[in-house]
Amino acid sequence: MNIFPPELSYFLKRKIVVKKLKNGHIISWLHLKRFRLRKFTIVGFLLLAALGLTAPVARAASFTASLDRDTIALGERATLTLRFDGDAPQNPPQLSAVPGLGLGYVGNQSMNLSINGVDSSIVTYTYAVTPTKSGEFTIPVVATDANGNSISATPVKLTVTAASAPTAAAVNSGNEVVFLKLSFPKPKIYVGEPIVVRLDIYLRDDVQNFGNFQLTGTPADGFKPGKIVELQNQRRRVQVANRVYTVIPLAVPLTAVRNGALTAGPFTANMVVVLPSQNEGGDPFIQQFFNQGQQKQISLATDAAGVESLPLPEANKPANFTGAIGNFTMTATAGPTNVTVGDPVTVRVQISGRGELDAIQLPDQSSLQNFKIFPPTAKTEITDQLGLEGQKTIEEIVTPQNADVHEWPQFSFSFFNPDDGKYHTLTQAAVPLTVKAAGTSPMPMIAANKTSAPENQSPQDILPIKENLGSLTQNKIPLVAQPIFLAAQSLPVLAFLAAFIWRQRADNLANNPRLRRQRAVAQLVAGGLSDLNKFAAENKSNEFFAMLFRLLQEQLGERLDCPATAITEADVDQRLILLGASPATLESLRELFQLCNQARYAPIQTRQELVAVAAKFKKVVGELQSLKP
Amino acid sequence: MKNLFASLCVLLFAGNIFAADVATDFSGANELYAKGKFAEAASTYEKILQTGATSPALLFNCGNAEFKSGHLGKAIAAYRQAELISPRDAELRANLAFVRNQVQGAALHENRWQNWIGSLTLNEGALLAAVFFWALFALLAVRQIRPALAPKLRSATQLAVVAAIFSGAVLALQAANHFNLAVAVVTSAETTARSGPFDEAQSAFTAHDGAELQVLDRHDDWVQVVNGAGKIGWLSRKQVEVLPGA
Repeated sequence: MNIFPPELSYFLKRKIVVKKLKNGHIISWLHLKRFRLRKFTIVGFLLLAALGLTAPVARAASFTASLDRDTIALGERATLTLRFDGDAPQNPPQLSAVPGLGLGYVGNQSMNLSINGVDSSIVTYTYAVTPTKSGEFTIPVVATDANGNSISATPVKLTVTAASAPTAAAVNSGNEVVFLKLSFPKPKIYVGEPIVVRLDIYLRDDVQNFGNFQLTGTPADGFKPGKIVELQNQRRRVQVANRVYTVIPLAVPLTAVRNGALTAGPFTANMVVVLPSQNEGGDPFIQQFFNQGQQKQISLATDAAGVESLPLPEANKPANFTGAIGNFTMTATAGPTNVTVGDPVTVRVQISGRGELDAIQLPDQSSLQNFKIFPPTAKTEITDQLGLEGQKTIEEIVTPQNADVHEWPQFSFSFFNPDDGKYHTLTQAAVPLTVKAAGTSPMPMIAANKTSAPENQSPQDILPIKENLGSLTQNKIPLVAQPIFLAAQSLPVLAFLAAFIWRQRADNLANNPRLRRQRAVAQLVAGGLSDLNKFAAENKSNEFFAMLFRLLQEQLGERLDCPATAITEADVDQRLILLGASPATLESLRELFQLCNQARYAPIQTRQELVAVAAKFKKVVGELQSLKP
Repeated sequence: MKNLFASLCVLLFAGNIFAADVATDFSGANELYAKGKFAEAASTYEKILQTGATSPALLFNCGNAEFKSGHLGKAIAAYRQAELISPRDAELRANLAFVRNQVQGAALHENRWQNWIGSLTLNEGALLAAVFFWALFALLAVRQIRPALAPKLRSATQLAVVAAIFSGAVLALQAANHFNLAVAVVTSAETTARSGPFDEAQSAFTAHDGAELQVLDRHDDWVQVVNGAGKIGWLSRKQVEVLPGA
């Protein structure tokens, strides 16, 4: 990180080496500003050194401590800087504790400088000084240098003034830029009653911006504080004297924990505001557009505010009052309502309203002898930003212990309403229950045989052991996790698919006579071929050629879609050419036809010749069957 | 062939011998129980179970012996395992309910549908679904082979479709319950559930012997559980017995 302005960085880059900025924490803009100012001083000094106006000698180590301000208000924070010129300790010095001051290490920075061949270094350690009380403080500064020697700097003094609220006159004059006001909603409250105290921040109209608001002290003895929040959409503007203030309301929930006179405050806070810059001269009209303002940290304080806390009245206090204070409504349900002895019934009580919901408890139920009551569970849902409104749902599981139970009894919840100063009791009617004796339906025989327990009475012990081992099984994987079982489930699907395909093909065949004929002829030819081979083997020439001629007719008739008996050698050529038959096929066909004709007059006698004819026929048939009709 | 026959004989006789041993041990454990030696009886039942043999009666008796020995968690675990095999056993359900009543803390509540489908074992559900599935596709196949029968089979087919879908849904729920909704039963006297799976983690809640907790996750020797009150924590596996869902 270059801490020099760009023009100086360029000029010094060969002479001054900024080694590093080791900053473990966030340094505020004020610290940064001071840091830069100091750097300019250093840079000026170094420039002089570079010009030869200072002697080129190494400086002895020195150690100084300084505060950015000598006086601060309680709630503000000062910055302590320890500077080492020359040898510096490796670790931040441990400062002695000062009662009333908090000293927190912020970070460090170091620079190695090389000026005219002379090396030197500057190391600074920064601490935040936070006072916890007002007064005069002296901070002793002792450190150990790099050589282990103890070195000390001049102690620094800090004056912390007590935060105080501005006077009424100052407030009413409109001179205060920012002030706080603390107010109770009413002068009397009850112990345990949650109230919302208003803490208003007044910002004068010339405040251009503000931020970093931080409450530094919220003393409220005798109260239990809640979470402080800003009341949404309730900012307003008020006129004080001749100035207009913006009021930012904060809500401080407080609950009185004891009776008597209680006091809250003074609350203290810090904030940063941006005010118009005072030293920029020029036309005021122009300034209002171009004045960027100056930031200012302001300490704020309120006056203390008191309230009287009253004890809860003893008169008319309900017996089942458990300390709930506020204003509530209640709904209660129980279910299921038709159960067996020992079965769980869920009782759900929902209490809604404003008050300390976390403190709400169910009344004592130890008198409910007929129920086993398990510890309840509670869930609180907050519906407002202050955490004072919402609903608490308490659920408890109860089990009826005998069949004589007929209802979940009437349920009451009492609370004290501080608004009217009276106790109120909310009552939910009894819930009818139907409770059956345990195991009455499936187990009368068992009870009669082995336990002799009277019917409709809850069992006093477990049922006895079984004498028969029964069928033994091995610990097996469930069927649904066995691959064989899962694979088996595909069988009916496959069977159905096979049937479906078969049906489709059968329907196809039934609706296509030509296909049917094609298959019949194919079957006939297949059978005929075996007959031909048989006739050839037996050298039965007449039967062979009669069969051959018939097969040729059938096959050609099927291909040409005409009656087989109508097929002659003369018809074949022209029509087969149209189907795309090859000349070789046609030639073979002619030859076969001629052989058939010749056989009537000069039958072929040898077996080999017949076998050769059968083979030729088989080949021709194959070629014919491949033609697309 | 002779070798195969010999092997089958060996297996058959070995099975008989094994069953005879189990029956003998079972009777011995029953005698110990009758004499009031519940811890010894429980130990004997558990030894039988460690051999891999199991039966509803064996688990039932083991649960009884554990309960009489004061081990509510082990008793509930045994009863729950028996319930997986024989979910409609009235004696078993009565004893399980009785022991559950002795357990401290909020009980784990099962949904109505979980109770309902829990009346069938997972295998029974699988077989039932398979039967309806096969019947449905058999009917569909018959309708393809004999279209003339289709009008007569229409009602039966519709019924089979509904039954197959319903039984399939039941089986899916059963399987989801069995494999995904594991239950951890606390078997130590009192155990502290931790906010993380290590001994140094903060305490989340305390569970007592016999508490049944829903298992949410597993990590090494730890199981993440939620109790009946909705509190979540991690328990060491040494302190619980993890069982499949019903």
